[in-house]
Amino acid sequence: MRIWLGVWTLAVALLIHPLSNAADKGGGKAAEPYDEDTYGPEAPVVWVKPVRSVIFEHRVHTMDAGLDCASCHDDLFEMSSGEVAEKDDFTMAAIYQGKYCGSCHDGSTAYNANTRCTTCHIGVRGHQRLERAQAEKGRAK
Amino acid sequence: MNDKDVQRREELGPDRRQEISSLERRALLKLGFAISGVFLGGSVLSLVSVRKADAAGAPVIGGYPYNPHYTMVIRERHCIDCELCKEACVKTNGVPAYGYRTTILEKRRALEEGKFETTFMPVLCNHCNNPPCVRVCPTTATWKDKTTGIVGIYRPSLCIGCKTCMTACPYNARYFNEERRAIDKCDFCFASRLSKGEKTTACAAACPADVRVFGNLADHGDRVYRLLHAPETLIWVLRPETGAVPNVFYVNT
Repeated sequence: MRIWLGVWTLAVALLIHPLSNAADKGGGKAAEPYDEDTYGPEAPVVWVKPVRSVIFEHRVHTMDAGLDCASCHDDLFEMSSGEVAEKDDFTMAAIYQGKYCGSCHDGSTAYNANTRCTTCHIGVRGHQRLERAQAEKGRAK
Repeated sequence: MNDKDVQRREELGPDRRQEISSLERRALLKLGFAISGVFLGGSVLSLVSVRKADAAGAPVIGGYPYNPHYTMVIRERHCIDCELCKEACVKTNGVPAYGYRTTILEKRRALEEGKFETTFMPVLCNHCNNPPCVRVCPTTATWKDKTTGIVGIYRPSLCIGCKTCMTACPYNARYFNEERRAIDKCDFCFASRLSKGEKTTACAAACPADVRVFGNLADHGDRVYRLLHAPETLIWVLRPETGAVPNVFYVNT
Protein backbone atom coordinates (compact mmCIF):
# COMPACT_ATOMS: atom_id res chain seq x y z
CA MET A 1 0.00 0.00 0.00
CA ARG A 2 2.77 2.35 0.95
CA ILE A 3 4.58 1.65 -2.31
CA TRP A 4 1.53 2.63 -4.32
CA LEU A 5 1.22 5.84 -2.41
CA GLY A 6 4.85 6.61 -3.28
CA VAL A 7 4.33 5.86 -6.96
CA TRP A 8 1.21 7.99 -7.05
CA THR A 9 2.97 10.96 -5.45
CA LEU A 10 5.86 10.68 -7.88
CA ALA A 11 3.53 10.53 -10.86
CA VAL A 12 1.64 13.61 -9.72
CA ALA A 13 4.91 15.45 -9.06
CA LEU A 14 6.19 14.63 -12.53
CA LEU A 15 2.95 15.82 -14.10
CA ILE A 16 2.92 19.09 -12.26
CA HIS A 17 6.62 19.83 -12.71
CA PRO A 18 6.62 20.88 -16.40
CA LEU A 19 3.48 22.95 -15.88
CA SER A 20 4.91 24.95 -13.02
CA ASN A 21 8.14 25.41 -14.94
CA ALA A 22 6.31 26.79 -17.96
CA ALA A 23 4.28 29.13 -15.79
CA ASP A 24 7.47 30.56 -14.30
CA LYS A 25 8.92 31.30 -17.69
CA GLY A 26 5.75 32.93 -18.97
CA GLY A 27 5.71 35.12 -15.88
CA GLY A 28 9.34 36.14 -16.39
CA LYS A 29 8.74 37.23 -19.93
CA ALA A 30 5.63 39.17 -19.05
CA ALA A 31 7.57 41.08 -16.40
CA GLU A 32 9.87 42.68 -18.96
CA PRO A 33 8.61 43.17 -22.49
CA TYR A 34 11.19 43.74 -25.22
CA ASP A 35 11.56 47.47 -25.72
CA GLU A 36 13.07 48.35 -29.08
CA ASP A 37 14.05 51.86 -27.94
CA THR A 38 16.19 50.41 -25.16
CA TYR A 39 17.39 47.18 -26.72
CA GLY A 40 17.46 47.84 -30.46
CA PRO A 41 15.39 46.33 -33.25
CA GLU A 42 13.69 43.09 -32.24
CA ALA A 43 13.95 41.46 -35.67
CA PRO A 44 17.31 39.75 -36.13
CA VAL A 45 19.83 41.23 -38.54
CA VAL A 46 20.78 38.71 -41.23
CA TRP A 47 23.78 39.49 -43.42
CA VAL A 48 24.05 37.99 -46.86
CA LYS A 49 27.39 39.62 -47.61
CA PRO A 50 30.26 38.69 -47.69
CA VAL A 51 28.76 35.23 -47.07
CA ARG A 52 25.14 34.26 -46.92
CA SER A 53 22.94 33.91 -43.87
CA VAL A 54 24.80 35.21 -40.85
CA ILE A 55 22.60 36.27 -37.96
CA PHE A 56 22.91 38.92 -35.28
CA GLU A 57 20.30 39.35 -32.56
CA HIS A 58 20.10 42.56 -30.56
CA ARG A 59 18.07 40.78 -27.88
CA VAL A 60 20.89 38.37 -27.03
CA HIS A 61 23.47 41.14 -26.76
CA THR A 62 21.47 43.90 -25.05
CA MET A 63 18.57 42.51 -23.04
CA ASP A 64 20.27 39.19 -22.20
CA ALA A 65 23.96 40.14 -22.02
CA GLY A 66 23.42 43.67 -20.69
CA LEU A 67 25.35 45.68 -23.29
CA ASP A 68 24.15 49.14 -24.19
CA CYS A 69 23.93 50.70 -27.67
CA ALA A 70 27.20 52.60 -27.24
CA SER A 71 29.10 49.35 -26.66
CA CYS A 72 29.05 48.76 -30.41
CA HIS A 73 27.56 51.87 -32.07
CA ASP A 74 29.09 53.70 -33.83
CA ASP A 75 32.67 52.57 -33.14
CA LEU A 76 32.39 48.95 -34.24
CA PHE A 77 29.27 49.11 -36.35
CA GLU A 78 27.30 51.88 -38.01
CA MET A 79 23.66 52.00 -37.04
CA SER A 80 22.58 50.89 -40.48
CA SER A 81 23.10 47.13 -40.74
CA GLY A 82 23.76 47.16 -44.46
CA GLU A 83 26.65 49.57 -44.19
CA VAL A 84 29.28 47.27 -42.68
CA ALA A 85 28.66 44.61 -45.32
CA GLU A 86 29.95 47.05 -47.95
CA LYS A 87 33.36 47.23 -46.31
CA ASP A 88 36.18 45.20 -47.79
CA ASP A 89 37.54 44.17 -44.42
CA PHE A 90 34.27 42.80 -43.01
CA THR A 91 35.73 39.29 -43.10
CA MET A 92 36.45 36.46 -40.69
CA ALA A 93 40.16 37.29 -40.94
CA ALA A 94 39.49 40.83 -39.64
CA ILE A 95 37.22 39.47 -36.90
CA TYR A 96 40.01 37.13 -35.75
CA GLN A 97 42.23 40.20 -35.48
CA GLY A 98 39.78 41.83 -33.11
CA LYS A 99 37.75 43.97 -35.47
CA TYR A 100 33.93 44.08 -35.54
CA CYS A 101 32.45 41.05 -33.69
CA GLY A 102 35.99 40.02 -32.79
CA SER A 103 36.43 42.88 -30.34
CA CYS A 104 34.37 40.85 -27.87
CA HIS A 105 34.36 37.39 -29.46
CA ASP A 106 38.02 36.79 -28.64
CA GLY A 107 37.77 33.84 -26.31
CA SER A 108 37.88 35.88 -23.09
CA THR A 109 35.06 38.46 -23.19
CA ALA A 110 32.84 36.15 -25.22
CA TYR A 111 33.41 32.85 -27.01
CA ASN A 112 36.06 33.00 -29.69
CA ALA A 113 34.87 33.79 -33.20
CA ASN A 114 36.77 30.80 -34.55
CA THR A 115 34.57 28.41 -32.56
CA ARG A 116 30.87 27.59 -32.68
CA CYS A 117 30.54 28.68 -36.32
CA THR A 118 26.88 27.77 -36.71
CA THR A 119 25.73 29.93 -33.80
CA CYS A 120 25.92 32.95 -36.13
CA HIS A 121 26.22 31.21 -39.50
CA ILE A 122 22.69 29.87 -39.51
CA GLY A 123 22.99 28.87 -43.14
CA VAL A 124 20.55 29.04 -46.00
CA ARG A 125 18.32 26.53 -44.25
CA GLY A 126 18.35 28.44 -40.99
CA HIS A 127 17.60 31.67 -42.82
CA GLN A 128 14.61 30.12 -44.56
CA ARG A 129 13.32 28.77 -41.26
CA LEU A 130 13.69 32.21 -39.69
CA GLU A 131 11.80 33.86 -42.53
CA ARG A 132 8.99 31.32 -42.24
CA ALA A 133 8.77 31.95 -38.49
CA GLN A 134 8.65 35.70 -39.03
CA ALA A 135 5.97 35.37 -41.70
CA GLU A 136 3.88 33.28 -39.33
CA LYS A 137 4.35 35.82 -36.58
CA GLY A 138 3.24 38.55 -38.99
CA ARG A 139 0.09 36.62 -39.86
CA ALA A 140 -0.66 36.00 -36.19
CA LYS A 141 -0.61 39.74 -35.55
CA MET B 1 27.71 8.47 -35.56
CA ASN B 2 25.85 11.45 -34.22
CA ASP B 3 27.32 14.69 -32.94
CA LYS B 4 27.17 13.62 -29.34
CA ASP B 5 29.25 10.54 -30.10
CA VAL B 6 31.79 12.62 -31.98
CA GLN B 7 32.08 15.04 -29.10
CA ARG B 8 32.28 12.29 -26.48
CA ARG B 9 34.98 10.45 -28.36
CA GLU B 10 36.97 13.59 -29.03
CA GLU B 11 36.95 14.31 -25.32
CA LEU B 12 38.04 10.81 -24.38
CA GLY B 13 41.43 11.23 -25.98
CA PRO B 14 43.78 8.75 -27.52
CA ASP B 15 44.62 6.42 -24.65
CA ARG B 16 41.47 4.36 -24.77
CA ARG B 17 42.36 1.96 -27.47
CA GLN B 18 40.99 -1.02 -25.60
CA GLU B 19 37.52 0.45 -25.80
CA ILE B 20 37.35 0.06 -29.53
CA SER B 21 35.04 -2.83 -30.26
CA SER B 22 36.12 -5.65 -32.51
CA LEU B 23 33.42 -4.63 -34.96
CA GLU B 24 34.90 -1.17 -35.17
CA ARG B 25 38.38 -2.57 -35.59
CA ARG B 26 37.19 -4.73 -38.44
CA ALA B 27 35.41 -1.83 -40.14
CA LEU B 28 38.59 0.16 -39.93
CA LEU B 29 40.79 -2.55 -41.31
CA LYS B 30 38.41 -2.96 -44.20
CA LEU B 31 38.95 0.66 -45.06
CA GLY B 32 42.68 0.16 -45.19
CA PHE B 33 43.56 1.84 -41.92
CA ALA B 34 45.26 0.44 -38.87
CA ILE B 35 44.32 1.38 -35.37
CA SER B 36 46.86 3.82 -34.05
CA GLY B 37 45.35 4.41 -30.67
CA VAL B 38 42.66 6.74 -31.81
CA PHE B 39 38.96 6.37 -31.74
CA LEU B 40 36.84 4.80 -34.33
CA GLY B 41 33.43 6.27 -33.85
CA GLY B 42 31.17 3.37 -34.51
CA SER B 43 32.68 3.61 -37.93
CA VAL B 44 36.18 4.54 -38.80
CA LEU B 45 39.10 5.80 -37.00
CA SER B 46 42.49 6.65 -38.05
CA LEU B 47 45.17 6.07 -39.07
CA VAL B 48 48.02 4.49 -40.54
CA SER B 49 47.38 2.80 -43.81
CA VAL B 50 47.87 -0.91 -43.52
CA ARG B 51 50.54 -2.46 -45.61
CA LYS B 52 50.21 -5.93 -44.24
CA ALA B 53 46.72 -5.85 -42.82
CA ASP B 54 44.86 -9.06 -43.13
CA ALA B 55 41.15 -8.83 -42.54
CA ALA B 56 38.59 -11.25 -43.84
CA GLY B 57 36.51 -9.64 -46.54
CA ALA B 58 38.78 -6.66 -46.99
CA PRO B 59 38.44 -5.54 -50.58
CA VAL B 60 42.09 -4.67 -50.80
CA ILE B 61 44.88 -5.63 -48.53
CA GLY B 62 47.55 -3.04 -48.12
CA GLY B 63 47.05 0.45 -49.43
CA TYR B 64 44.43 1.83 -51.73
CA PRO B 65 42.99 0.12 -54.76
CA TYR B 66 43.22 3.02 -57.18
CA ASN B 67 45.73 5.59 -58.23
CA PRO B 68 44.64 8.29 -58.22
CA HIS B 69 42.36 7.14 -55.43
CA TYR B 70 39.91 10.04 -55.50
CA THR B 71 38.72 10.92 -52.03
CA MET B 72 36.93 13.78 -50.38
CA VAL B 73 37.53 14.75 -46.78
CA ILE B 74 34.79 16.88 -45.27
CA ARG B 75 35.76 19.11 -42.35
CA GLU B 76 32.24 19.03 -41.05
CA ARG B 77 32.28 21.55 -38.19
CA HIS B 78 33.44 24.27 -40.57
CA CYS B 79 30.43 24.05 -42.86
CA ILE B 80 28.19 27.14 -42.64
CA ASP B 81 25.58 26.11 -45.22
CA CYS B 82 26.25 29.02 -47.56
CA GLU B 83 25.47 26.57 -50.36
CA LEU B 84 28.01 28.00 -52.79
CA CYS B 85 29.10 24.39 -53.39
CA LYS B 86 25.62 23.42 -54.49
CA GLU B 87 25.45 26.36 -56.86
CA ALA B 88 28.87 25.64 -58.32
CA CYS B 89 27.87 22.02 -58.86
CA VAL B 90 24.63 22.93 -60.61
CA LYS B 91 26.41 25.43 -62.83
CA THR B 92 29.35 23.18 -63.70
CA ASN B 93 27.42 19.99 -64.30
CA GLY B 94 24.05 21.29 -65.54
CA VAL B 95 22.10 19.69 -62.71
CA PRO B 96 18.31 20.19 -63.07
CA ALA B 97 16.26 21.76 -60.29
CA TYR B 98 14.52 18.49 -59.37
CA GLY B 99 17.77 16.66 -58.60
CA TYR B 100 21.08 17.21 -56.90
CA ARG B 101 24.58 15.79 -57.02
CA THR B 102 25.53 17.23 -53.69
CA THR B 103 23.49 18.82 -50.95
CA ILE B 104 23.79 19.92 -47.34
CA LEU B 105 21.91 18.26 -44.53
CA GLU B 106 21.30 19.83 -41.18
CA LYS B 107 21.48 18.23 -37.77
CA ARG B 108 19.92 20.10 -34.88
CA ARG B 109 20.56 18.98 -31.35
CA ALA B 110 18.33 20.48 -28.67
CA LEU B 111 20.28 22.12 -25.87
CA GLU B 112 18.32 24.08 -23.29
CA GLU B 113 14.90 25.64 -23.74
CA GLY B 114 14.47 26.82 -27.34
CA LYS B 115 18.18 26.55 -28.14
CA PHE B 116 19.83 24.29 -30.66
CA GLU B 117 23.30 23.30 -31.71
CA THR B 118 23.41 23.08 -35.46
CA THR B 119 25.79 21.05 -37.58
CA PHE B 120 25.69 21.12 -41.35
CA MET B 121 26.61 17.96 -43.15
CA PRO B 122 27.57 18.16 -46.82
CA VAL B 123 26.73 14.93 -48.63
CA LEU B 124 27.50 13.58 -52.08
CA CYS B 125 28.21 10.28 -53.80
CA ASN B 126 30.75 8.37 -51.70
CA HIS B 127 32.24 6.57 -54.71
CA CYS B 128 32.26 3.41 -52.62
CA ASN B 129 34.83 0.69 -53.11
CA ASN B 130 32.00 -1.79 -52.86
CA PRO B 131 29.14 0.20 -54.43
CA PRO B 132 25.66 -1.22 -53.78
CA CYS B 133 24.26 0.80 -56.69
CA VAL B 134 26.50 -0.98 -59.18
CA ARG B 135 25.68 -4.41 -57.83
CA VAL B 136 21.95 -3.98 -58.44
CA CYS B 137 22.03 -2.49 -61.95
CA PRO B 138 20.34 -5.02 -64.26
CA THR B 139 21.79 -3.60 -67.48
CA THR B 140 25.38 -2.67 -66.46
CA ALA B 141 24.77 0.97 -67.35
CA THR B 142 26.67 2.01 -64.25
CA TRP B 143 29.98 0.81 -62.90
CA LYS B 144 33.05 1.80 -60.93
CA ASP B 145 35.86 2.80 -63.24
CA LYS B 146 38.83 0.48 -62.93
CA THR B 147 41.47 3.20 -63.09
CA THR B 148 39.92 6.21 -61.36
CA GLY B 149 37.53 4.41 -59.02
CA ILE B 150 34.78 6.87 -59.94
CA VAL B 151 31.27 5.45 -59.89
CA GLY B 152 29.37 6.73 -62.89
CA ILE B 153 26.66 6.03 -65.44
CA TYR B 154 29.12 5.34 -68.21
CA ARG B 155 26.56 3.99 -70.65
CA PRO B 156 23.37 6.07 -70.14
CA SER B 157 21.83 4.53 -73.28
CA LEU B 158 21.67 1.23 -71.41
CA CYS B 159 19.83 2.76 -68.45
CA ILE B 160 16.20 1.65 -68.44
CA GLY B 161 15.22 4.01 -65.63
CA CYS B 162 14.26 1.25 -63.21
CA LYS B 163 15.70 3.33 -60.35
CA THR B 164 16.87 0.26 -58.46
CA CYS B 165 20.26 1.93 -57.98
CA MET B 166 18.54 4.93 -56.41
CA THR B 167 16.98 2.61 -53.86
CA ALA B 168 20.21 0.71 -53.27
CA CYS B 169 22.38 3.78 -52.66
CA PRO B 170 22.88 4.28 -48.91
CA TYR B 171 23.65 7.95 -49.49
CA ASN B 172 20.68 8.96 -51.63
CA ALA B 173 23.16 10.30 -54.18
CA ARG B 174 21.34 9.46 -57.43
CA TYR B 175 18.47 11.08 -59.30
CA PHE B 176 16.66 10.40 -62.56
CA ASN B 177 17.60 12.94 -65.23
CA GLU B 178 14.49 13.43 -67.31
CA GLU B 179 16.31 15.04 -70.21
CA ARG B 180 18.85 12.25 -70.52
CA ARG B 181 16.22 9.63 -69.67
CA ALA B 182 18.84 8.05 -67.44
CA ILE B 183 20.05 8.11 -63.87
CA ASP B 184 22.56 10.84 -63.09
CA LYS B 185 24.92 11.49 -60.20
CA CYS B 186 28.13 13.06 -58.96
CA ASP B 187 31.21 11.96 -60.89
CA PHE B 188 33.68 13.99 -58.80
CA CYS B 189 33.49 16.46 -61.72
CA PHE B 190 35.42 14.03 -63.89
CA ALA B 191 33.63 14.93 -67.12
CA SER B 192 33.42 18.65 -66.45
CA ARG B 193 36.77 19.35 -64.77
CA LEU B 194 39.20 16.54 -63.91
CA SER B 195 39.37 15.23 -67.49
CA LYS B 196 40.20 18.78 -68.61
CA GLY B 197 43.17 19.09 -66.31
CA GLU B 198 41.55 20.68 -63.26
CA LYS B 199 42.77 19.30 -59.96
CA THR B 200 39.68 19.59 -57.84
CA THR B 201 35.89 19.43 -57.97
CA ALA B 202 33.65 22.46 -58.49
CA CYS B 203 32.17 22.17 -54.99
CA ALA B 204 35.58 22.03 -53.30
CA ALA B 205 36.81 24.99 -55.35
CA ALA B 206 33.74 27.06 -54.42
CA CYS B 207 33.84 26.44 -50.67
CA PRO B 208 34.85 29.61 -48.76
CA ALA B 209 35.39 27.73 -45.49
CA ASP B 210 37.74 25.04 -46.82
CA VAL B 211 35.30 22.31 -45.80
CA ARG B 212 35.64 20.06 -48.82
CA VAL B 213 39.14 18.76 -49.43
CA PHE B 214 39.49 16.72 -52.58
CA GLY B 215 42.52 14.70 -53.54
CA ASN B 216 44.32 11.45 -54.12
CA LEU B 217 44.44 9.17 -51.08
CA ALA B 218 47.13 7.03 -52.69
CA ASP B 219 49.55 9.97 -52.77
CA HIS B 220 51.28 10.32 -49.41
CA GLY B 221 52.01 13.99 -50.04
CA ASP B 222 48.38 14.82 -50.78
CA ARG B 223 46.37 16.85 -48.30
CA VAL B 224 43.61 14.24 -48.04
CA TYR B 225 46.21 11.62 -47.13
CA ARG B 226 47.72 13.90 -44.49
CA LEU B 227 44.32 14.80 -43.05
CA LEU B 228 43.30 11.16 -42.74
CA HIS B 229 46.63 10.01 -41.35
CA ALA B 230 47.27 12.76 -38.85
CA PRO B 231 47.69 11.15 -35.43
CA GLU B 232 44.81 11.40 -33.01
CA THR B 233 42.28 12.42 -35.58
CA LEU B 234 38.73 11.26 -35.24
CA ILE B 235 37.43 10.19 -38.60
CA TRP B 236 34.06 8.79 -39.51
CA VAL B 237 32.12 7.77 -42.55
CA LEU B 238 28.37 7.73 -43.07
CA ARG B 239 26.50 4.45 -42.78
CA PRO B 240 29.50 2.15 -42.33
CA GLU B 241 27.18 -0.75 -41.51
CA THR B 242 26.23 -1.11 -45.17
CA GLY B 243 29.70 -2.41 -46.00
CA ALA B 244 29.90 -0.12 -49.01
CA VAL B 245 33.42 1.11 -48.07
CA PRO B 246 32.90 4.76 -48.91
CA ASN B 247 35.55 7.26 -50.01
CA VAL B 248 34.07 10.38 -48.43
CA PHE B 249 35.45 10.88 -44.95
CA TYR B 250 34.33 13.25 -42.22
CA VAL B 251 36.62 14.98 -39.73
CA ASN B 252 36.39 18.01 -37.45
CA THR B 253 40.03 19.09 -37.73
